[in-house]
Amino acid sequence: MISRFVLGAALALLMLVCGPLTFVYLGTKTSKISVPPAKPTSASPRAQALTLPGTLYLAQSGAIYSLAAGRFHQLTPEAGWTQPSLSSDGSSIIAVKQAALYSDVYVLNRFGTVVRKVTSNAAPPRLAYDTGQNHWSFYPRLSADGKTLWMAYDKPKFDYDVVLSIWAMPFGGTITQGKLWTNAADYTGGDVQPVPVSGGVIYTKYDYGPDEKLVGRLWFTNRAYAPGKALTTPGEDCRNPAVSPDGTQIAMICTYEKQLSYLTVASWNGSTLGARKNIITNQLVAQPTWAPDGSGIAYLAPGVAAGPFQLWWLPRAAYAPVPTPAPTPTPGGPHNGPLPSPSAAPAVVIRPIQMTTNNGFDATSPPAWRG
Amino acid sequence: MLSSVAGGLAYFLPAAQLALDSTGQVIRVPTPSPTDLLTSPAPSQSPSSSPITGAFTVLLLGSDDDSKFIGDHVLTQSMILVRVVPSTKQVTMLSIPRDLYVPLSTGGFGKIDGAYSYGGAGAAIATVQQDFGVHINDYIWVGLLGLVKLIDAIGGIDVVTSHPVMDDYYPADIYSSWPYDYERVAVLGGPQHLDGLHAMQYVRSRHGDLQSDFGRSQRQQQVLMAIRQKATQLSPEDLPGLTKAIGGELKTSIGLSRVAALLPLAASFDNPDQIRQIILLPPYTHGDGPGGSIRANWGLILPLVHQYFP
Repeated sequence: MISRFVLGAALALLMLVCGPLTFVYLGTKTSKISVPPAKPTSASPRAQALTLPGTLYLAQSGAIYSLAAGRFHQLTPEAGWTQPSLSSDGSSIIAVKQAALYSDVYVLNRFGTVVRKVTSNAAPPRLAYDTGQNHWSFYPRLSADGKTLWMAYDKPKFDYDVVLSIWAMPFGGTITQGKLWTNAADYTGGDVQPVPVSGGVIYTKYDYGPDEKLVGRLWFTNRAYAPGKALTTPGEDCRNPAVSPDGTQIAMICTYEKQLSYLTVASWNGSTLGARKNIITNQLVAQPTWAPDGSGIAYLAPGVAAGPFQLWWLPRAAYAPVPTPAPTPTPGGPHNGPLPSPSAAPAVVIRPIQMTTNNGFDATSPPAWRG
Repeated sequence: MLSSVAGGLAYFLPAAQLALDSTGQVIRVPTPSPTDLLTSPAPSQSPSSSPITGAFTVLLLGSDDDSKFIGDHVLTQSMILVRVVPSTKQVTMLSIPRDLYVPLSTGGFGKIDGAYSYGGAGAAIATVQQDFGVHINDYIWVGLLGLVKLIDAIGGIDVVTSHPVMDDYYPADIYSSWPYDYERVAVLGGPQHLDGLHAMQYVRSRHGDLQSDFGRSQRQQQVLMAIRQKATQLSPEDLPGLTKAIGGELKTSIGLSRVAALLPLAASFDNPDQIRQIILLPPYTHGDGPGGSIRANWGLILPLVHQYFP
């Protein structure tokens, strides 16, 4: 028979344990939606199943990371670093370092060490009282010959009308030697994300559409400060252009003026875009980046609804043109009636592969990819 | 069992305390007023947490609440009427321009964003009711810092920012010791995940927008929908952390029981096409009012409001 003392002590102990346990248990039932993204280096992507070719450079929380052979490496500290791109030989990284009031373009070596600062966008000390004396540089890209730096730069600006314009400057020079290439529309945010191509530059221009809503459009121009040519319509509302390694296709993000986006691919002949093919639809998706070997497209998209952006991979088979099947020959010679329908090939659905699950990549930062 | 209950109470107590402080706010309507909110039984006063089936209208108020202002005498930079029809799962959002020149419920004329500063939420509600001819069931007020904290507490939101929002003279009044200071803002365009600070910059900046406050209203509605989408993933166990994070930066007339009933309702609205967004651009308004205000074209506005806010 259990004594009253033991029973009382046991019950008291049970009470002491149950209260905190309930408290802790309820804490474990939270939705975890506010858990901050993990650093890419703290967990491996799903590289055991798939290793992307070459080295991919991405930005998260102000740091640049490389992904090679299935492992992430942190190249810079979390200090405003974003928008990495590569020199044509892949030996240098061109990236933006953003401070509170300005941003500058830097050259880093492939291990993330600063080699030199390219722009000087902080206001001069004597004018530092005026925030408007600072400048932004975003989306730096080097020309194929490595001599020209393309970027979005907020000059000219007119008091409250601050817009980014496309500039080209000698890579070894200063912005005073640079040339303004586009005439950004007033009060729109301007022209961004230049992609130098053979014979000119493709970029995203923000402007008011016929319905007076602000939309993005891809434009191509081959002369400084010339109007150029719109490649997409206002209704498509496109941005984030990326040219395929062979230069014959462009991937982009189009939203059709909704809070959804489509990863769209179109053929490119050097002056116009061909028919559009939406390969990712009805979800948020950003910054398509072609694999240098043409094996697929990497892009950024939330891993769960409304979550931070993860790295995804879409193999080439998902979007490559499918050859039209030939009609099945009729046995026995000529046939007078209607031709039989071609036999349908078994449909193979190629799904995107989610490479990371708990990171939070900067979706305004186009990844760079070295082969 | 008692011990488990005590543990549960301890878990939810901070949320309950803060929720009781900030929810179920009694609306006091200043006199003279054409409406009588205190005598009209509002659904929020009902103690029942049964599913909500009837349509209702909420006035969302967003304010600067930095040290430039004294106490609760703040301007409402954002005023959005939201009509929810649970039976058809339709939501209509109508942004009221902050500079709209209207008769105020507290007397006289002025910009509608001043109504709250003269008489709190009651005056803001009464002004909107008398001028727009709508019945408002409840209100939610959130301060700038509250918006930042709310979005951070739910882990950020996903938004397709319509364009780069660039502002060289954005007010640095949230974390700065000098509330009249300026800072620069560059929220780049396109699909992205925004934390609270950048979401606030996106919805608050208006210097770089040709449509000024109207453009800002569109961005505010985008962010509201993104918050709603994220909120559908919340569980009741998130409430303590959420209320602790928001602190006293949110006030509402909606009672606790009604909040509980609204959570599953919000989750059931999963079709973005069922959400109608209305901005009172010209010709509904025109910008020649006194003191930089804009005037209403009531002949166009009232039929529109009566159609969507019957």
